[in-house]
Amino acid sequence: MSKLWEIREVSTVAILVLEIAFFTLYLRPEGARTHPFFNAPNALLILKYSAIYGIAAIGAAIVIISGGVDLSPGAVIALAGVVAGQRFVQAQWSLTASILTGLAVGAAAGGLSALLVVLVRLPPFIATLGVMGIARGAAFIVTEGRYFDVSAHVPVDWRVAGLPLDWIAPTLMIGLALLFQLFMTRFQWGRAVFAVGGNATAALFSGVAIGTVQASVYVIAGVLAALSGVVLTVVQGQGKADLAMGYELDIIASAVVGGASLSGGRGSVVGAVLGTLIFGVLRNALPQIPGATFYDRLIVGLVVIGIVVMDQLFRRSEGYRP
Amino acid sequence: MAAVEFDHISKSFGAVRALSEVTFAIERGSAHAIVGENGAGKSTLLKILAGTVRPDRGALRLDGRQVMLAGPREALARGVGLVHQEMLAFPNLSVAANVFAGRELMAAFGWLRDRAMRVRTRDLLARLGVPLSPETLVESLPVALRQIVQIARALALDCRTLALDEPTTSLTAGECDHLFGILEDLRRSGVTLIYVSHRLPEVFRLCDRITVLRDGRYVGTFERRSVDHDHVVQAMVGRSIPPRPKHERSADAARSLLRVERLSSAPCFDEVSLSVAAGEIVGLFGLVGSGRSELLETIVGLRRADRGRIEIDGRMVRIRSPRDAARAGIVLVPEDRQRQGLCFNLTVRHNLLLPLAEASRQWLVGRAERRTANALVDKWRIKAASIDVTPDALSGGNQQKVVVAKWLALAPRVLLLDEPTKGVDVGAKDELHAVIRAAAAGGAACLVVSSDLPEILALTDRIAVMREGRIRGELRAQDADEESVMRLAATSAGAAV
Repeated sequence: MSKLWEIREVSTVAILVLEIAFFTLYLRPEGARTHPFFNAPNALLILKYSAIYGIAAIGAAIVIISGGVDLSPGAVIALAGVVAGQRFVQAQWSLTASILTGLAVGAAAGGLSALLVVLVRLPPFIATLGVMGIARGAAFIVTEGRYFDVSAHVPVDWRVAGLPLDWIAPTLMIGLALLFQLFMTRFQWGRAVFAVGGNATAALFSGVAIGTVQASVYVIAGVLAALSGVVLTVVQGQGKADLAMGYELDIIASAVVGGASLSGGRGSVVGAVLGTLIFGVLRNALPQIPGATFYDRLIVGLVVIGIVVMDQLFRRSEGYRP
Repeated sequence: MAAVEFDHISKSFGAVRALSEVTFAIERGSAHAIVGENGAGKSTLLKILAGTVRPDRGALRLDGRQVMLAGPREALARGVGLVHQEMLAFPNLSVAANVFAGRELMAAFGWLRDRAMRVRTRDLLARLGVPLSPETLVESLPVALRQIVQIARALALDCRTLALDEPTTSLTAGECDHLFGILEDLRRSGVTLIYVSHRLPEVFRLCDRITVLRDGRYVGTFERRSVDHDHVVQAMVGRSIPPRPKHERSADAARSLLRVERLSSAPCFDEVSLSVAAGEIVGLFGLVGSGRSELLETIVGLRRADRGRIEIDGRMVRIRSPRDAARAGIVLVPEDRQRQGLCFNLTVRHNLLLPLAEASRQWLVGRAERRTANALVDKWRIKAASIDVTPDALSGGNQQKVVVAKWLALAPRVLLLDEPTKGVDVGAKDELHAVIRAAAAGGAACLVVSSDLPEILALTDRIAVMREGRIRGELRAQDADEESVMRLAATSAGAAV
């Protein structure tokens, strides 16, 4: 068995803990007022907004582990969100039917990426760049520039399976992260994803159905991005075509910070979700520091580079050779 | 004055010790051969000379001056050129651009002096006796000419020392003659040649001195005049090789397990018929490009056959992928373990169990996985620190054993092996042969592709020889010798360059 400190997720947790400790100290209030950062409602807020990235980052991490990359999640989030919103608000469908339609749209977008990558043999970067444009365009066509106010149709004290609205997104994120972690580590399918990402030729020779494996990861990523979009629409209360602009890069960054290697074959689903939490904390805490508002993108960029460089130095010291 | 001196050079790659304390000198103006078996350290030594690999310890002296080469660029600047077997050419650029790559002739502001480079290239090619336009794209050239382009490059950069790594591996007899003509001319003009090969006749033809390496160590340097062929072979192997006992079996040819009939796949091979009985080891010999590897790839569904049929136990099988093949009981141990054999991001355990898990349509990662993997490691005597390390922590021979073992874990009925002992040391080679014999003894039909004639002769019961995509003959192993096999395999007419 691996020793505790050799597990990659542990170092991601450590970074997250250090980060929280830093902001807790830095933002500590004077006197006996409640802490502006370290309190339960704020923690829930961070979890809720991170979940939008986090659910999609699970799929992104799986795609990256398989040796590909998916640039479409931001656009798919928006498209699935507006489709579900439009069905629910305009077409007056039931919530379940609207959500399922949103997820189906995500599956279709993922399926298109899969088709382009596996059958047409486009490089994943190009294929998913195209799908990103198509999905974003479709979102604008569906909405015709309007937005759907979902919140008016969802009662404030609405619960799903006994969960209050605010808890749904974090619960989904954590549950799905654990589920897919299990798929990736204890199921032969996950093993095959790692094999294809590490060496597709050797995987092919070893009897792995590499086309099926590659196709499956894009479809899964599409569905998970769509779920993020549906959650965003329901939680935020509105569906808009220009939501989640540029999320794909944050999502990929989260997966990478969580240990995924863009050359494939390495990474972790739980790590990717922890990565989104690292960014979620930053996005939440930085605006509370006076004068830091304009620095937050810059700091996010520095954090990505810093963590990945640290990771590489660590691996090199272990005698790892690329 | 020695052109090159190696002084106690040592180099390790991970756990593998490639060179240890190698010391010898190469005289200016001589033609000096470095020979040794696969894995003896020849290529590593050349890479150190060319600046692409840095030694862990020891000194390299060029013309008596100690140097620390920072990279190939510096080696070139000091007059050392390397002609690779796998050529580092730019196929998408012209011959002239390749000759001057990295050292372009330039006017002010980096303006390329194209015409000057073309003229010099043409002169050089003329000097080498190759009337070739400098504007030809390298990708349109045959391998032999690409090699000559590399030599031209070394000359254009005024290299006084030219190192060649297995330059004749992919050349026909005629092309070899032409290359030797060029090399002999160069030598007469004062260029020092360092010639690495395992083909002894070439070495004896070209070189004055022969240095033998074995398992990364220096064995000795011999004057050509004072030694003979057998002497050098003994130094390479470290012992005189006793003729190996053949395993005598009466292969029941009527009960052929694998039968390939009139299988064709243009342009690689045509109308190939072949059968292998259960328990039989058949060798498939042929030079590079004869279509052997492609035949194996077609059998496991990696490429499509145009015509012909494949039968297992008398029943025709349709195989569209290695996955189908594995389920039909046919496995291919591929030639290139780095590229086709192993996933280096997965542990030895995961690599060992991948084909088994995939072929058995397993859903969950098995509970007994660890036990199964350990059993395989013990059974095939794979030396690994644990089953949880990645394959790059293993020596080449043990990596190869993992590749073979992961396929044997399926208990295949038909075992296809493509160059199963390429690049492994002598000890591992013997062990791999034992593994293949054990598989055959267990009833598998084995078809072994190898360019290593002694290996084919020692290992197999029957030898089929391919040339230019066709089977040119079959020999029983006890009737065959190197000459009879080679006569079938080699092209009759020495094709001109």
